[in-house]
Amino acid sequence: MNITQDNMKVVEIMSRLSIDRASRALSKILRTGAMISLSRVYIADLSETTAKMNDDLREMTGVMVNFKGNVGCKLLFMLPVTGSFILTDLFLRQPAGTTKEYNEFTESVVQELGNILASHISNALVSDFDAILVPQPPQVHNDYAGVMFSNLVLEQGMTDDKLLLLETQFEICKTELECYLFLVPEMTSFGKLLDNLGVNV
Amino acid sequence: MRKILVVDDAKVIRMVIKRILTRHGFLVAGEAGNGREALEKYKELRPDAVTMDIVMPEMDGIQGLKEIIAFDKQAKVIMVSAIDQRDSLTDAIRNGATDYVVKPFEDDRMVSALKNIFGEA
Repeated sequence: MNITQDNMKVVEIMSRLSIDRASRALSKILRTGAMISLSRVYIADLSETTAKMNDDLREMTGVMVNFKGNVGCKLLFMLPVTGSFILTDLFLRQPAGTTKEYNEFTESVVQELGNILASHISNALVSDFDAILVPQPPQVHNDYAGVMFSNLVLEQGMTDDKLLLLETQFEICKTELECYLFLVPEMTSFGKLLDNLGVNV
Repeated sequence: MRKILVVDDAKVIRMVIKRILTRHGFLVAGEAGNGREALEKYKELRPDAVTMDIVMPEMDGIQGLKEIIAFDKQAKVIMVSAIDQRDSLTDAIRNGATDYVVKPFEDDRMVSALKNIFGEA
């Protein structure tokens, strides 16, 4: 598939609208100024991205969501384990610093945040772009970024060395919380979305 | 006191819903983490209403709803999901759901959905 600059512009707009919706939902559930913003959408080199992830040696917690429908897609959201403590306190309306270790509540919060993010991204793609996209139950993992990213790649069955990546920034109460949000559509699905919009690929 | 069964695979969401309902005078009689457990708990507890998530492992909320309605045609089931899509909503209503609450929700939305069921709104 030949992806032109114009195609990428359309994908960027679709992604921005989806991420905006997810961001509003996240703000509402955390009852704070939480914001996910899209930094850029680009076709990344798989081996370079894997190497970058392998360089991040922090212990991470991540949630992976598979989507069913006519658009094959996977979402991986991960952040350092210490970041998940902050989210847990916000979610459970506890004073900051209450959560000091990873436990069943932290896992459940990350699981639900994955569900909220995935659902609202799919809601936007369904209502605005005529996709059929239903999230499946989220799976929570604790590991290094490189390991979780490799699992994402393996599960997506990627044979190509290129993947579409959405790079995001995540801020809570104006404090940047480092995280990775990968939304990886199958390249054929990407074409379907553009078709729905009447964009030639 | 009205007995409610809360079904969601996320423990923290069950906690949040329980906290809201208890504060508004409902009794959370039981909790379940998927559709299959929900049916078992429904048979055991015979709650006045159920709040049911949709995306869950093992058995999803739509299947759980179908099985509960097959067991008890009068069952009152409110779907509670972050999926805000027409197909999902019509699927739920067609299969007997009484209402559909989108996550994240305001406390009042959940309470009014339950009060509507019991004609107490």
